[in-house]
Amino acid sequence: MEIYLLDNLDLLQQHLLIQHQLYQVIEDDNGQCSWQQQTKEGNAPLIAKLPQSSAKDFFFAEHENLLIFNGEYFQETLPKPAPFVLFGALSCDLTAISYQDKFFKDDPYYQARRQHCLLVGLDCVRPCQQGFCPTVDAGPGVREQSADIILHPLENQQWLVITTSDKGSEAVKGLALSVAHWHLLTQRDLVLHQCEQDFPDNTYITQAIDKLNSGEIKDSFWQQLAVQCLGCSGCTTLCPTCSCYSTRSITVESEQKKVIKQQRFWDSCLYEGFQREASFHNPSSDAGKRVQRFWHHKFGNEFFTEFNRHGCVGCGRCEQTCPGVIGIHSVMKRINSDA
Amino acid sequence: MLNHTPDAIELVDYIDDGEKARHYQFRLRNITSQATTYDWQSAQPGQFFMLNVPSIGEAAFTFTEPPNEQGEFRALIRQMGKLTHTLFTLPKGEILGARGPFGHGWPLEEIIGKNIIIIAGGCGLAPLVNLINGLIDNLADDQRVVLVYGAQSKRAQLLSPERERWQAHIKIYNTLNEIKDQYTLAENESQGTPLDIIDTAMSAFTKPPATALLCGPEIMMYRAAKQLVNKGMTNDAIFLAIERRMHCAVGLCGHCYLHEHYVCKKGPTFSWQELQSLV
Repeated sequence: MEIYLLDNLDLLQQHLLIQHQLYQVIEDDNGQCSWQQQTKEGNAPLIAKLPQSSAKDFFFAEHENLLIFNGEYFQETLPKPAPFVLFGALSCDLTAISYQDKFFKDDPYYQARRQHCLLVGLDCVRPCQQGFCPTVDAGPGVREQSADIILHPLENQQWLVITTSDKGSEAVKGLALSVAHWHLLTQRDLVLHQCEQDFPDNTYITQAIDKLNSGEIKDSFWQQLAVQCLGCSGCTTLCPTCSCYSTRSITVESEQKKVIKQQRFWDSCLYEGFQREASFHNPSSDAGKRVQRFWHHKFGNEFFTEFNRHGCVGCGRCEQTCPGVIGIHSVMKRINSDA
Repeated sequence: MLNHTPDAIELVDYIDDGEKARHYQFRLRNITSQATTYDWQSAQPGQFFMLNVPSIGEAAFTFTEPPNEQGEFRALIRQMGKLTHTLFTLPKGEILGARGPFGHGWPLEEIIGKNIIIIAGGCGLAPLVNLINGLIDNLADDQRVVLVYGAQSKRAQLLSPERERWQAHIKIYNTLNEIKDQYTLAENESQGTPLDIIDTAMSAFTKPPATALLCGPEIMMYRAAKQLVNKGMTNDAIFLAIERRMHCAVGLCGHCYLHEHYVCKKGPTFSWQELQSLV
């Protein structure tokens, strides 16, 4: 690990732009935040705001070609992205990327993109509206193993730049940076600790996780909850760790030739037909079972073992998007009060 | 890294069987000219492959005969959904795709040389064909194998030539759910479902079966497993092949989930011991 002081963030952005495409979270006039590509002509200010969509699409594309069939044989169509940087990703989303890295560790399409990406994390020094990252060990400070470079805002518009991987160290080479004093790391710890203290009391989430894993919650509770699930896939689309997908074939015909593409695209385990077979046998036709499985996938101890953490990173997007009001906070409160 | 890309195969031949079902013979196209991407020769009884029908997609099927040295293999396929409806319209010689073998098949260490009761319903006999053929080829003198096969009707029965051939080596009970008034049941036939004949089948053993293998509609398998436990078999001696919708077959797409497991990787064969807490 190396630590540096940076007076002007623009210098780092311009430096990274020499060899990378650079994406950053931008806020529009309506207050909506999204990942957008930045150019050398001018960089928007770095903001510690959660974008509506997480960064998972950068690696696990919402839809992508897996292969083509030319009538004789099948050919893999691996993506060949230019090197890119996610500049200013927040800790919850970076934790989700680490989670997905494990899940997709052997998937060539995910890895083709992931290996070309430099992750520059941004510490959150103030709680966000729906987030509860400290409760699920996913923030507010960026975890060393989840980013290549960590940015921490200091007073007087200065930045602490922490390189946490060889890739990160390599990326800042050639940039005139002054080495920072170690006490700034201690100062960072204090700021992050204070930020954790500033989060509202989320012990009801921890209590609900325990209850969920106790096996005491009756099926009837999940069925009641499922009445409010519209099966819209808003939660699974925005959840940075959701990874279910389906495949489809698309035929492209021209005068000269016919090519068949096989695509994969994001799917949702909350759709009624997610597990329905050709015979119409459907093991998860019961909406209550689908909702139960979704929350177990996020908080069940049975999944914890594989990933050494829960499948929820505390971003709160499901709460913000769910039209049926059964996002994380609502469900955890209901588990405590009704289950 | 995982491979999502199928090997090209040729639809060599097919024979109709039962109602809207066919035995398909396929051949890997590049088996003699170059190494295939998959280890086809390692296929074990009860494992499955993903058949790719270009322009439609992929679906999982089991081998009734695993790939031989010439890359030829067979599968019993029932016309059910979009993919199989398209497959049934395709002529011999058509180029398709296949990935596999996938999953965990039947537990051979619990089967070879032991007394076995097999209970299959409808198309559920397909994943057992390769296994039964192997058992018969290597049947020990004191080994007893009993098959209970249930079909909806005489017309719906599958694999009649195979069952005829097996009859000389193993005891077979056939059940028919529906029979026509004028139909006379044969000696090894009875009306009902496999569940109605399990007690009789168990009495065919002088020494109780060490292992039970079940494949068919899930509700039938679960009831059969409970009956076998009531007859004294242990939960870890009963094995069931579970069917689930699959898109990737490599534990990524999520469609075949069974609690924290994915049937494509953990299954499709589960012991009743494992399965009871999952269903």
